[in-house]
Amino acid sequence: MDPSSTGIQEPFDLIRLSLSERVFVKLRGDRELSGVLHAYDGHMNLILSDVEETVMIVDAVDGTLEGQGTVAKRKMEMLFVRGDGVILVSPPSRM
Amino acid sequence: MDEQTPPPPDHGSTPPPPPSVSGSPTDFLKGVVGKRVIVRLTSGVDYRGVLSCLDGYMNIALEQTEEHVNGMVTNRYGDAFIRGNNVLYISAAESL
Amino acid sequence: MASQILPLELIDRCIGSRIWVIMKNDREFTGTLLGFDDFVNMVLEDVTEYETTPQGIKQAKLNQTLLNGNNICMLIPGSSGPDS
Repeated sequence: MDPSSTGIQEPFDLIRLSLSERVFVKLRGDRELSGVLHAYDGHMNLILSDVEETVMIVDAVDGTLEGQGTVAKRKMEMLFVRGDGVILVSPPSRM
Repeated sequence: MDEQTPPPPDHGSTPPPPPSVSGSPTDFLKGVVGKRVIVRLTSGVDYRGVLSCLDGYMNIALEQTEEHVNGMVTNRYGDAFIRGNNVLYISAAESL
Repeated sequence: MASQILPLELIDRCIGSRIWVIMKNDREFTGTLLGFDDFVNMVLEDVTEYETTPQGIKQAKLNQTLLNGNNICMLIPGSSGPDS
């Protein structure tokens, strides 16, 4: 497969190029993280530092369509993320 | 690319399909790299973007990605890595 | 002696025909089968996706699609799906 203009040949290249950068991570259970990526492996286990976690708390009232969820935020200095919870990782935009 | 499997066994009874018609998952993926795709996750969330590449686990790298939830754009990412276990399907957004 | 056709041989014979795919959850697909692999990842064409929700069945049309085999439950060869 010929590399695209961005020089990415396999999906993990995207992660490799984001080492030491701030990344956005979407996790199962309506969690999102923003932190500096220090390490990853083939399971997508991650080590992040200076992390802000955002948890969407969907109100238990059923029948509510979209919106009206509260968000809880908290900060962690250093974090290990187990890979199986990862849905998406987005590096900072490179222009 | 690190693809997993050979095509299904052919038991000599039927000729293989003509090679010009994309058949196997591998052929489909070769044809769709660099094109606009819709990636639907099992959660129902869609990611629309240009498929940069993928691997045998269906891990996906997308460019110019839009996240769609219930038909509305909820996020945009320059690049996005999607872990393959969440993927329900990859669909060509333009006809091949 | 029981017939010796393997399950995936049956699916191999469906290539080029319509097939109905029922997932482990409330989702179904119909389409023309173009190919598949040993994981039963399937390439379909002229696809309709059906999602059963409390509000009813939501349908969507798709172009050529690679369906992850992971969540497939059942395959019904030659069927046009829930509409037929």
